[in-house]
Amino acid sequence: MSNPLSDLEKADVYFCIGTNMTECHPVAATRMKKALARGSKLIVADPRYIKLAEMADLYLPLRVGTDVPLLLAMAHVIVRENLIDHKFVEERTTGVDEYIEHVKKFTPEWASEITGVPAKDIEKAAILYGAADKASIYYTLGITEHICGVDNVQSLSNLALLTGHLGREGCGINPMRGQNNIQGAGDAGAAPNVYPGYQAVTKPEIREKFEKLYGRELDPERGITKVTALETSGNGIHAMLIDGENTLVSDPDRVHSEHALNSLDHLVVIDIFLTETAAMADVVLPATSWGETEGTLTNTERRIQRVRAAVTPPGESKPDWEILTMLANAMSIPGFEYDSPKEIFNEMCSVAPIYAGVDWDMVDGGQYQWPIPYKGHPGTPRLHEDGFTNGKAVFKVIGFRDPAETVDETYPVWLTTGRRLQSYHTHTQTGRASGIEYLVPEEYLEVHPDNVKKWGLKDGGWAKVVSRRGEIKIKVKSTSRSPRGTVFASFSFAETPVNILTGSGYDPNTHTAEMKVTVVRVEPL
Amino acid sequence: MVTMQGLRELPLVDSGVKKTRSVCGYCGVGCAVDILSKDDHIIGIQPAMDGPANLGALCVKGQFAYDYVHHPDRLTKPLVRREDGKLHETTWEEAIQVAADGFRNVSQKYGREAIYGVASGRTPTEADYLMQKFIRAGFGTHNIDNCSRA
Ligand code: SF4
Repeated sequence: MSNPLSDLEKADVYFCIGTNMTECHPVAATRMKKALARGSKLIVADPRYIKLAEMADLYLPLRVGTDVPLLLAMAHVIVRENLIDHKFVEERTTGVDEYIEHVKKFTPEWASEITGVPAKDIEKAAILYGAADKASIYYTLGITEHICGVDNVQSLSNLALLTGHLGREGCGINPMRGQNNIQGAGDAGAAPNVYPGYQAVTKPEIREKFEKLYGRELDPERGITKVTALETSGNGIHAMLIDGENTLVSDPDRVHSEHALNSLDHLVVIDIFLTETAAMADVVLPATSWGETEGTLTNTERRIQRVRAAVTPPGESKPDWEILTMLANAMSIPGFEYDSPKEIFNEMCSVAPIYAGVDWDMVDGGQYQWPIPYKGHPGTPRLHEDGFTNGKAVFKVIGFRDPAETVDETYPVWLTTGRRLQSYHTHTQTGRASGIEYLVPEEYLEVHPDNVKKWGLKDGGWAKVVSRRGEIKIKVKSTSRSPRGTVFASFSFAETPVNILTGSGYDPNTHTAEMKVTVVRVEPL
Repeated sequence: MVTMQGLRELPLVDSGVKKTRSVCGYCGVGCAVDILSKDDHIIGIQPAMDGPANLGALCVKGQFAYDYVHHPDRLTKPLVRREDGKLHETTWEEAIQVAADGFRNVSQKYGREAIYGVASGRTPTEADYLMQKFIRAGFGTHNIDNCSRA
């Protein structure tokens, strides 16, 4: 997130796209509601009439996968109405002329055809966002889990640059992270393109620094992404170490993931339960869980906080850091002489410039948001206030392409997937928490009442859902939250493996799986 | 299930209830919480009124979904797959040895590029840091990713 969570109370206009914030991030939504009560305006763009839409001043029910045309047309209106922040654009960006020429082609009427949103509402949204003094954008996986995920995010960035809604209180582009420590995993360099602190692996001076630190030669080019690794399992990749992630049920195209893991010579899984993924491993190493482990987490606003152990872990389970230290030592990998998470965190701070100004003891109270470039620096709640790290921000010209699959006669229905309030990701945690289980007893498919009738289904009855990749059996729930012609299911439960159906394509830039859009047909059972 | 009302009224000093300041483990908002435990069991979660990200707020997930910590299905011993094709409980020494040998064999047979690491978006950052260091310092590649791309 470019801005701190406290800014959720400070915008005049909120543009929430592809985020059911009330369900996924309720505490964040509560802060925004305070501002709405004071008269701030809310625009919600989502294929489903989600809870957040009920609070919206303007709801844009866009067709699944059509975020880019919507955003192009909004930019068109902002240019046409001259809601451009000329000073900001002049001083802090480049490439605006080409961008303005580009968006002139994309009228609200054009976008209306593709998105299904009335042209008048696209205009209203653009003017609300563009004319506001303080306007902020919030988005979640909805917008990144499409085949054009990077295009979506860059389209949002273009809107913010054009209107100068960046680097100020109540503005910014703010992704809401799903899992609690996705931010920390990225910060730590657990990615094929960057070392700790987002330092590019392709930069020679960075590589030399880490070669000295880690005591060996390091490849000058990027590694492969997890998606590619799964695709080349048994044919390039032959061993995997997986930490605390139920790869099998949380990946789209489950059949493919299962096959991939089966093709490995050697699979080692560290986890707290014998998940579907762990059950396929050659070695399973039991880890301590939340509430039993000391460490740090970094939240969606880049705030570094401490987690602490309250109770003793069961049996012989050990913290992840200790397991990895043992494994590295057994393989004689140098530099794993750790006795505590404190030493590890402090090492990371010394190699990642964005963490350079803190250490374990300093983050005790959770007051720091990175970057903290040097000792004595107060941290950075709001990014881009005094400029961009790489000089000027660049407008990116984004075209429009269709999702990998579109509806046809055999598969006439859009299926979108997501997650629900009570259940967390793939069910390994909340699925076993008795306090939650009674709230969502089982998975169901949300279908508009008109479609329930037309397709011969029954509310509460069983349906068969068929996609190009497989079929599943699932219970039907009749609800007008789903638009006609689109059905919704979450991917929380291994027992109803919705992911068997999904997985039609990947974003060519980030390899984010397209989880939100699949075409299917629904039949009564 | 202990109610929030009940939790607030618990006399913390005399009842043997311990409070541990931590952060909710569910989503990226990162609400600060106090874990309430008694006899080495978590019995409740309270929002931390001075939590910088949540200012005393907490949602239904953060409040109630901690029972999994004490669930009977938790893994308590390392497991290795034996000749019968099944996973069996074993010692840490053996499990680590088998895990390490497997990586070494694959590296010798197919080259160091044949090994891949997937870090978690749920573990503390220290685990993610060590995962990437294990791959980079161990094999010299950047064959490491986390689940945000999945
Ligand atoms: S309490 Fe709710 S909003 Fe806060 S971190 Fe936990 S899951 Fe997220």
